Amino acid sequence: MSQCIVITSGKGGVGKTTTTANLGVALALLGNRVAVVDADIGLRNLDVVLGLENRIVYDLVHVIEGECKLKQALIKDKRVEGLSLLPAAQTRDKSAVSPDQMRRLVAQLKETHDYVLVDCPAGIEQGFKTSIAGADRAIIVTTPEVSAIRDADRIIGLVEAAEMPEPELIINRYRRNMVRAGDMMDKDDILEILAIPLIGLIPESEEVIISTNRGHPASMDADSIVGEAMRRVARRVHGELEVPFAALEQDEGMWVSFKRWMGLAPAREVVG
Amino acid sequence: MMHLINKFFGRGSNSKEDAKQRLKFLLIHDQVDMTPAQLEAMKAEIMEVIARYMDVDQSDTVFKLERLQDKVALVSSVPVKRVTARSALHGTA
Repeated sequence: MSQCIVITSGKGGVGKTTTTANLGVALALLGNRVAVVDADIGLRNLDVVLGLENRIVYDLVHVIEGECKLKQALIKDKRVEGLSLLPAAQTRDKSAVSPDQMRRLVAQLKETHDYVLVDCPAGIEQGFKTSIAGADRAIIVTTPEVSAIRDADRIIGLVEAAEMPEPELIINRYRRNMVRAGDMMDKDDILEILAIPLIGLIPESEEVIISTNRGHPASMDADSIVGEAMRRVARRVHGELEVPFAALEQDEGMWVSFKRWMGLAPAREVVG
Repeated sequence: MMHLINKFFGRGSNSKEDAKQRLKFLLIHDQVDMTPAQLEAMKAEIMEVIARYMDVDQSDTVFKLERLQDKVALVSSVPVKRVTARSALHGTA
C-alpha cells in the first residue's frame, strides 16, 4: 500500500526541505520506490538540496496544466535506485495549484511509487492547504526553540482539524552539549508540550551545510551521523517499531569525555 | 564568577526553563486569545460572586490557565476562611 507523507513545520528554516531530501533518499535505500515532491511553488529548493537542479525540464505546474506527462517531469536520481523528484515551478506562485489538483497528482504518483513525500512550504496559507490535500500522514519538523515549537503546535492543530491521523515529530538541530548544560529544551520537554509521537531526533551538524553545498544528502553517506539519524527515521516511517534513539558519536572533545569519566558530566544524551 | 564555575563544570545558565515557561504561556494564550487584563477582569467578577457566599483569602487566591492534553483549563485555588452564607443556603433547601 503506497502512502503520501507531507513534511511540514509552520515556521520556515527548520529543515523541512533537508529532511524531505534525506528521508526520500533513506526510504529509497530501503528498497522503496519514492517520489519527492516540491510543493513550494515559486521558491523551489528541493532540487538544489538533492543536487538535481541541472536536470529540470518540466515541473509540477506543467504536469497539472497538462503541458507534459507526469513521467516526463519526474527526474530519476541516478545515484539512488528508486528515487525521483517532481520539482516545483519557480516562475509561478501558490495559486497555480489547487488542493484538488494536488490530490489528483498524489493519487497518480501513488500508482507507481511506494512513498510520495511532499515538501510543504512554510506558513499556514494556501500552500500549506494544498500540500496536505493528498497526504495520508504528516511529519512535523521542529527545532528546540520557542518560536519553532509554537508554530509546530499550531500546525498540529491544523493537521488534526483536517482529519488526518495524529502527526509524528522530528526534532532537528538537537545540540546535546546545550541540552546537557540546561540551555536547550530536551526531547522530553518538547514531547511534553507537543504531545505527539517522536519519529526522529536529528543532531545539529556542520555536515548538513557541507552536504547541501554539494547537493549530496547526508543519508547517502554511510558514516554521517545526520545520515544515520535520517536512515533511522526512514526505518521508523517504514514500520520498523523498535529502532532505538541510540547515542550517536558526536565530536564532544576529550575534555567532556574526561569530565564524564570523573562523574562531573551526566551520561550520554540519546540522539538518533 | 559563578557563571564561569558553572561553565567549567558544564552547567549552563539553565535558560531552557525560561524557554519552556515562555512557551507554555504562549501556547495557552494562542489558544485562549484572552488578554491579561481580561483575565484580571474575569477574576475580579468571579471573586465578587464568591464573596457573596464565603469569606475568602484574596491574597492567596490563584487563577491561572493550564494546558491539559489538547484542552485549556482554568485552574483556581481560593482559600476559604469561613462560609458566611450557611444560613441562607439552608433557607433555600
